Amino acid sequence: MKTYEVFLKKAGKDEFRHAGALDAPDDEMARLLARESYVRRGEGAQMWLVARSAIIEGEEEFLSPNFDKPHRHNDGSNIAARRKRKRSETEGFEA
Amino acid sequence: MSELSAAALSYLIAFADDEHMIGARHTSWIGMGPFLEEDLAFCSIAQDELGHAIALYELVVDSFGSSSELVTPIDHFALLRPAADYRSCSLAEAACDDWQDALVRHWLYDRAEELRWAALADSSNPALAAIALRSEREEVFHRAHAESFMSRIASSGNASSIALITDSIQRLLPLGDGLWDPPDAEADAIAEGFVTESSASMASKWKQDIAQDIQKWNLPVGLEIQIYLNEAAPSASSFGDRLQRSEGFDQFLTSLQAVISLDPEAEW
Repeated sequence: MKTYEVFLKKAGKDEFRHAGALDAPDDEMARLLARESYVRRGEGAQMWLVARSAIIEGEEEFLSPNFDKPHRHNDGSNIAARRKRKRSETEGFEA
Repeated sequence: MSELSAAALSYLIAFADDEHMIGARHTSWIGMGPFLEEDLAFCSIAQDELGHAIALYELVVDSFGSSSELVTPIDHFALLRPAADYRSCSLAEAACDDWQDALVRHWLYDRAEELRWAALADSSNPALAAIALRSEREEVFHRAHAESFMSRIASSGNASSIALITDSIQRLLPLGDGLWDPPDAEADAIAEGFVTESSASMASKWKQDIAQDIQKWNLPVGLEIQIYLNEAAPSASSFGDRLQRSEGFDQFLTSLQAVISLDPEAEW
């Protein structure tokens, strides 16, 4: 058995989205079985199946050095805090 | 709501009962398929067959019109008739408790369904023709599914698996004759254009299809099966197959009635 990842795309401008995975003995069986496992109720108008072995992975260890870089996150919280501080200073009361 | 002739009704009931029984038998594999994905696929096929049965039963009960006092006549018609009133064939009723039997029966039955829907696609009854077109779209997948398993097992090189399905074919194929036991007054149904091909004509095409598959998969079936497949006409033993219920039918019907009989008048 091989494991396949299933991607579905609805009609229209939506992109392909990951729907799940399945096991099948070969590509053609995977096509047949994915249809019944993931598209029974017309969940997608198009389907991609990708053998998991064909996926090039960026695993957690490879990505984790990028987790701890708050300076790359501009969510506005620093500016908001500074504004709040200034406001309370000029208006003379504490928030 | 159209009135159907007695011949048309008898034709519909035979096909609907086949679809109902095969669907119900297939669903007994829920949770027992060889792997999850196949479990889902086979049960989906079962539900398709039950869907076909519902579509055909609807034509039948619609034709009965408003004279019926039953709240849900379709469920009552499908489930609460006396066993003797069913017109399903032995192949559809058979338990097929082994997976290889369920697979072989699925292939034999769906090969026949292809011909049966084609014979209704140009029916003089437009509602039936529409059901036939929709059903055949689903059957393309059913046949691909059966073919996928049969061809892979046949070419697996696993002698014991090949022996299992070959043995199944030898036991189940003769039952298949009953598929072609014509419903009452089939000639009238053909005359009015309700169906466009006779059971006898479909039977010989079916045998050719089955013989071609067996040859393609190179399955070592016995000589008697090869002889059987070469005979155009259905064997005499199939005559009246739809009039008698097969062994174990009563018990099976009772199991199908387990819920509805709790409260036959309930609205679900």
